[in-house]
Amino acid sequence: MNLSIVYRLVLKDWYLQRLSILIALAGGLLGMGVVATGSSASFILGAIALVTVIIAFGANNAIATMVNERKEQTLPFVMSLPISYREYTASKILGHLILFLIPWLLITLGSLAMLWISPDHKHGMIPYVAIMATEMLVGSCLIATVALITESQPWTVACIMVGNVAFNIVGYIVAHIPSIARTLFGATLQWNAASVGILLAEFAAAALMLTLTFVFQARKKDFL
Amino acid sequence: MNEISVQFEAVSKRYPHFVLENIHLKLPTGSIMGFIGANGAGKSTTIRILMGLVHQDSGQVHVLGHPMPAGQAAAKRDIGFVSEDMRLYGPATLAWHMKFVQSMVPNWDAPYAEKLLQRFDLKPQQKIKGLSHGQRVKAALLLALARRPRLLVLDEPTTGLDPIARHEVLGELMAVLADEERTILFSSHNTQDVEQISDQITFIDRGQIVDTDGKEVFLDRWRRLRLQLQPGAALPNLPGIIQVGGSERLPVLTINCFDPAMLSACQRWGATVQAVDSMTLEEIFVANVHSRREQVTA
Repeated sequence: MNLSIVYRLVLKDWYLQRLSILIALAGGLLGMGVVATGSSASFILGAIALVTVIIAFGANNAIATMVNERKEQTLPFVMSLPISYREYTASKILGHLILFLIPWLLITLGSLAMLWISPDHKHGMIPYVAIMATEMLVGSCLIATVALITESQPWTVACIMVGNVAFNIVGYIVAHIPSIARTLFGATLQWNAASVGILLAEFAAAALMLTLTFVFQARKKDFL
Repeated sequence: MNEISVQFEAVSKRYPHFVLENIHLKLPTGSIMGFIGANGAGKSTTIRILMGLVHQDSGQVHVLGHPMPAGQAAAKRDIGFVSEDMRLYGPATLAWHMKFVQSMVPNWDAPYAEKLLQRFDLKPQQKIKGLSHGQRVKAALLLALARRPRLLVLDEPTTGLDPIARHEVLGELMAVLADEERTILFSSHNTQDVEQISDQITFIDRGQIVDTDGKEVFLDRWRRLRLQLQPGAALPNLPGIIQVGGSERLPVLTINCFDPAMLSACQRWGATVQAVDSMTLEEIFVANVHSRREQVTA
């Protein structure tokens, strides 16, 4: 695989998505500002805004850089250049992950930092927030996998909807796991087997999805 | 012309409602091949297989010495490709596209790109979404030509252009190619476009190659003979009669291997040759395809 080609393709997607990156960053910073004001209501509102920004950005990015490449017929142009399927797939996954990870990391780390330094000592929420933030990463990887393999807007939109529903279900289930629920609203940070296990399973699921994307792409016989 | 730039050997590709069958195709280096077929004949599928973007079910494809689709990335270093369904990025400028392609290919010729900008009357700072369809085609051609490709593949580049833009694009393409020595595959359903630019012609219909030869050979060997027969006389027994039209007494024979000696043969048969008409490439294509379809139906 020619990494220099992959790098240039990633830069291309970054350049073409620069406006949505800036909007997501602005939205994320605004949400964090609301969270930082300190009251419980603003914390919830800010958290909802942050989750919305991350999910919306991940979904928009997958559609804009993967589905629209076929829909807007720019795929023949890109594939006329000396690149292989693997380089194209790698660039799309890397481009998507990096574009997603920038605001995701900023917002996630920002939120965790807010919890850490909050005067109310909401440290017990940190594992839950980490799990739910990682769930968003898993959701974004799922959207990328479906968008890249199907190159279909209806499938990708369906996947976004399923991901959103799954996010709420996962949030509910995780919050009701006894070992996590016990410490959720406590003032001390406590990682336990359940929270660490869920977090590791989420990262494994994300890695599996991205690996499967390469496998499915390699099996494609018609790239245009 | 000894080297072969593109070679298809017994290539087949099957879709639920279309089959590309047993394609044999050779494109000698330095030649310009017009690839003619009706809409849905299999031109684009053949070209996508050539580019390695669609995998053949069977058969071998070699492009510039690379096996396809395995060697597509290496082959595409020396292939310039423009297709009717290719779009550039609307929000980006032509200058950005030029810089992007330059970063991706080994042989970008910046002075030549500048020259093409002037020749095509394009403004590099203009966004693609602000260009007319004709300008977009010219922009795509510029991006392909400035790569100095050894093989240029043009898949219906003039489709959808108004007559003025089509004339401009073809005229400029011919001017650009006049001082070049490169291999070109030019696909179109418009025979006039192909006739202007090509020295080799291949006809494709319903997923099969119907005929392939030099353009001048096609134009030389296809004729329409307008005869006058004596009442009750039979048609002369000539080789290569593809179609018989006209009336019983005034038949019009379409022949695919015309030889001037046929005229004396007609006289000996008792038929009067009223006229020998040359045929345009379009007439040859239509007669060829009809004849092939009749053979298949029979």
